Amino acid sequence: MRAAPRASATNAGPGKHARHSPPWRLVTRRPLTAAVLLGGVLAMAITVVGLLVLAGRPGHPPGPARAAPHGLAPLLTLPALQEPVMLAAAPPVALQIPAIGVRTRLVQLGITRQGTLQVPGSPSVAGWYTGSPRPGEIGSSIIAGHIDSYLGPGVFYRLRELHPGDRIYVRQADGRFAVFRVTAVHQYPKADFPAAAVYGPVPDAELRLITCGGTFDNATRSYLSNIVVYSTEVPSLPSMPSMPSMPAAG
Amino acid sequence: MTLRLNAPRRWRRRHGSGGTGASRHAARLAMLLGAATLSLGTLAGTAAAAPASSMSSGTGWMRCAHLSPTASVDIYVYSFGDPTAMSVLRHVAYGGVGMYMAMPAGEYTVGIRPAGAPASTPSVLSASLMVQAGQAYTVAAMGAPDDLRLQALHDRLTTPDGKSLVRVIQASLKQPHVTVRAGSATLASNLAFPSVTPYGTDAPGQWMVDATGGSESWSGNIKLTAGSIHTLVVLDSSSGLKVTDLTDAAGSAMTPHGGVATGLGGTAPGPAPSPLPWLAVLAGGLLVAAAAAIRLRRSRAMTRHAR
Repeated sequence: MRAAPRASATNAGPGKHARHSPPWRLVTRRPLTAAVLLGGVLAMAITVVGLLVLAGRPGHPPGPARAAPHGLAPLLTLPALQEPVMLAAAPPVALQIPAIGVRTRLVQLGITRQGTLQVPGSPSVAGWYTGSPRPGEIGSSIIAGHIDSYLGPGVFYRLRELHPGDRIYVRQADGRFAVFRVTAVHQYPKADFPAAAVYGPVPDAELRLITCGGTFDNATRSYLSNIVVYSTEVPSLPSMPSMPSMPAAG
Repeated sequence: MTLRLNAPRRWRRRHGSGGTGASRHAARLAMLLGAATLSLGTLAGTAAAAPASSMSSGTGWMRCAHLSPTASVDIYVYSFGDPTAMSVLRHVAYGGVGMYMAMPAGEYTVGIRPAGAPASTPSVLSASLMVQAGQAYTVAAMGAPDDLRLQALHDRLTTPDGKSLVRVIQASLKQPHVTVRAGSATLASNLAFPSVTPYGTDAPGQWMVDATGGSESWSGNIKLTAGSIHTLVVLDSSSGLKVTDLTDAAGSAMTPHGGVATGLGGTAPGPAPSPLPWLAVLAGGLLVAAAAAIRLRRSRAMTRHAR
């Protein structure tokens, strides 16, 4: 009652019916309050979306660099000996590393305008560098993935935990697998990255996995080192009893 | 010299007093001694090329090939001084090439036997080879049937960025000299049997390859990807000449610069820069919404009281 005179003086008209008004009438009756409320909710929604994007959660496709090159049949095949003839492998589509719980589809990576290796748009998937040989073909194939996002672990967060002997499985577009055995894990300063050794030619089928590591520089917001896992293809056996199931086609 | 003496001693220790197959042991011994005394093939190319993969410190590669127009053979690879073969390629026909084997750097012996001959029989031909870390080799049986020899070729593992390397092995006996062209480039000019060209630099792409020798010729396509290294082998075939394309090594078509930006710091120790602004916005939004809600409730309450 005490506050009544002031309240009725300013809000007498609309106030009378406010109690029974449906919520949407708030917009017309109290536009300022409604706008502020809406603004707050919007800010929260934007924040949630922003955080999710940073964490790489939503399933939006991280823009593929190029169209998938088609399988090229070898024009001249190697004479078959004890080991199977090495044919052109189909492009890789998925990667699994049971030892560190990695299970991801593979996107395709190119080279940035600055000449560096493109990285996956989402921290939760890894990507194959299309300029490198396909996993399972002769040569040094390259797959890169994030160690983390702004918020938490990325697909290759535990890459440095791999040990020689661990297995890496790559599923190819035709459903076949290439299996690799880890031979070494190295950490290199980015300033002194041994590009020739990592990307250079090798005479057998090898796969190199690359992520970040070492000290994080808050000034440049990047890690100072790269971790490179080297692996060599394991000759495929007629049956692979312990073959883990692979993720569905990505 | 020490290696030569070491081999029989090690063998004796392993097989010491075993009475069975003394002649077999003697044969192996003879083979090992023979291996040590036989000459190495010529090493093509300079040995100075930087190892392509520093990761495999202590590991090199070797593959074996049968490039003499004779009957099939079995190719044995022994770690020097060890009578047990670490690898055997059986029934390798003329033109057959094995995959590269990664092997610890060190000395190895390659032995050739007629296809199907027992491992205990003396090899008809053997040679030893020092495999260096980060280097690759092709050990090939080459030459005319009555002049068979093992040749060790040093295989390159580096290319100029964006280019391919190609060399030619002339293993056609019917045509003792061949010329091989890819497009307008001459890969081998009047190359004599049995020999090999040094690697030449070529532009990547799909090439029409022609091999001609005497009255015979062969042509076909090969695909050279940037960053790859190939060996073309000219062989006799039932219809004349034939060329096979071996991939010696392959790397990236274009070498990316520097390191790879695959981390945003969310798991880095120390001040995590990232989520704070977002959390601030979230808190701000909550505050504003709460304030608005309270104000709304208060004003409703006031109007109720006012009635």
